[in-house]
Amino acid sequence: MANIMTVDDTATMRQMISFTLSSVGHHVVQACDGEEALKLARQKKLDLVIADVNMPVMDGISLIKSLRQMPEYRFTPILMLTTESQENKRQEGRVAGATGWIVKPFNPEQLINVVNKVLG
Amino acid sequence: MNEPTSPIVQQNGPLGRLPRWWAWTAAGVLTAWGWTLIYLPPGVAVGSGAIVIFSITLLFVYGRQAAASLPAPDSETADSAGKTDDLEALLADNTSPGMLPQVDDVLRTMANEQQQKRLEDLLRRWVAVAQQYSEANLQLRKQIHAVIEQIEVAASTIADSFQTIINKATVQAQQAMDLLEGTQGAADDGTPQSLKDFIRVSDERLTKMSDEVVRVADLSVRMVKELDGVQKRTQAIDGFLMDVEKLADQTSLLALNADIEASRVGDAGRGFSVVAQEVRRLSKRSHEFSDRIRGHLSEVRVGLNKTYGDMRELSAADVKHAVKIKDEILTLTRSLEGKNREVAETVSSINAISREITQDVQTVVVSLQFHDITSQKLNGMLEPLDELRRTLFHLMQETLKFDKNLFTSVPGHEDLPARHPLTMTHEAATAPEPAAALEAAAAASSPSKRQNSSPSVELF
Repeated sequence: MANIMTVDDTATMRQMISFTLSSVGHHVVQACDGEEALKLARQKKLDLVIADVNMPVMDGISLIKSLRQMPEYRFTPILMLTTESQENKRQEGRVAGATGWIVKPFNPEQLINVVNKVLG
Repeated sequence: MNEPTSPIVQQNGPLGRLPRWWAWTAAGVLTAWGWTLIYLPPGVAVGSGAIVIFSITLLFVYGRQAAASLPAPDSETADSAGKTDDLEALLADNTSPGMLPQVDDVLRTMANEQQQKRLEDLLRRWVAVAQQYSEANLQLRKQIHAVIEQIEVAASTIADSFQTIINKATVQAQQAMDLLEGTQGAADDGTPQSLKDFIRVSDERLTKMSDEVVRVADLSVRMVKELDGVQKRTQAIDGFLMDVEKLADQTSLLALNADIEASRVGDAGRGFSVVAQEVRRLSKRSHEFSDRIRGHLSEVRVGLNKTYGDMRELSAADVKHAVKIKDEILTLTRSLEGKNREVAETVSSINAISREITQDVQTVVVSLQFHDITSQKLNGMLEPLDELRRTLFHLMQETLKFDKNLFTSVPGHEDLPARHPLTMTHEAATAPEPAAALEAAAAASSPSKRQNSSPSVELF
């Protein structure tokens, strides 16, 4: 199964994502902001990143840009999971290199389907 | 004496703003003094005159102060007021040179000072309200942060407990499924591996055993009958032996007679006597054989009697009892099968509940995300509060530069300039992405709008 990283400043969100994806056999690591996520991404190759947009220290858009600059994460799927639903924000995420955009609150079944789809 | 009365009728000049009561009082004092003047000695008259002049001056000054507290003339009447001032100045030159303009200035200054005081008082009250609001704002901010933290702790605890419950429910469901497979599974190699299989095999074995019991009972009955025949035959053999013994006795008797007859004949019968003795010896041996056979036959009879008793006992066992036991065992196994079906149904029900739990889990996972949305909404509430506090703080700083004395009567003003920059810096550092939080809160507070505007999941 895949190595997935969830990045969110809210502990409950990280728990819920981790719980949902672990229940179908994925291995999930957690990071509370973009900077910690980058640190973890350098330590271990990840198959998928699910990140929030609004976070302290380093926001989700900056995280995508930083990850896309790393050769090993150029083509890794990155999903944004956020309360932001405005089109301009989506566009910003798309331009930065996000693979998909999920608006909170997420439905577990839906998240699993999307994850399976982007993982191929 | 006309001069004091003229301002009474004036409306726009400096004296015209004096209240009428002053002029009337001054006139009364002057009249009283003039009325008593003719009865007083010259020295007393001079003294009382000085007192009257002093009193009138005091009344005039007091009257000007009272006039200063009246509303100032508006701009529309400014020109006409200026003209009236000029007329007042001309009149003053002709009547009371040097006295009325000085009093007028004093009164005007006093009125201005009083108005200034009232404005300052009002401004102090505004500043006090602003500071109180600022403090209340700070408290509100702390409270909101405390609420966010408490919600985070509570939500985290709920999430942990929820995960524990789900893990236990998953284990429970798995165990139920294992139990279901264990009770309903098939035997692979003939040995009973499931309860159902065990019941089937037990039923088969018990039926077979019961049939064997019945068959043995039938056989024992037949054997008893056979033994009856054998016993009758042994009795017959016994009778035959008695006949043989009688024959032997008779033979021996005949041989004895023959021997006697042979002795009587003499030597000619000696040979016959030998034969007769031999016949007697044979007869005796025949008797001995008969005795030995009887002995054996007696032992056989004893054995047969014992076997016959056992077999009778065996055949006397109630076959119906064996059949009844078989039926009872069959009833028990049927009951066990019923229980087994109930177990299967219960486990199936548990399985169905597990599926329902899976659905509920999804609902709870969605609901538990409320913390994130609530926190963002609360953070969104902080930003306008912070903005208002910043504005208030800057206004208060500017007011402080304008007049430091404004804060002298405000409670808690001492730490105002020092505390506010610190608190503002601290809050600016802790305030999480105000604009983004506001937008997020707005988005979260209007889910229907969000759904209408864009999909919840989009892959680029």
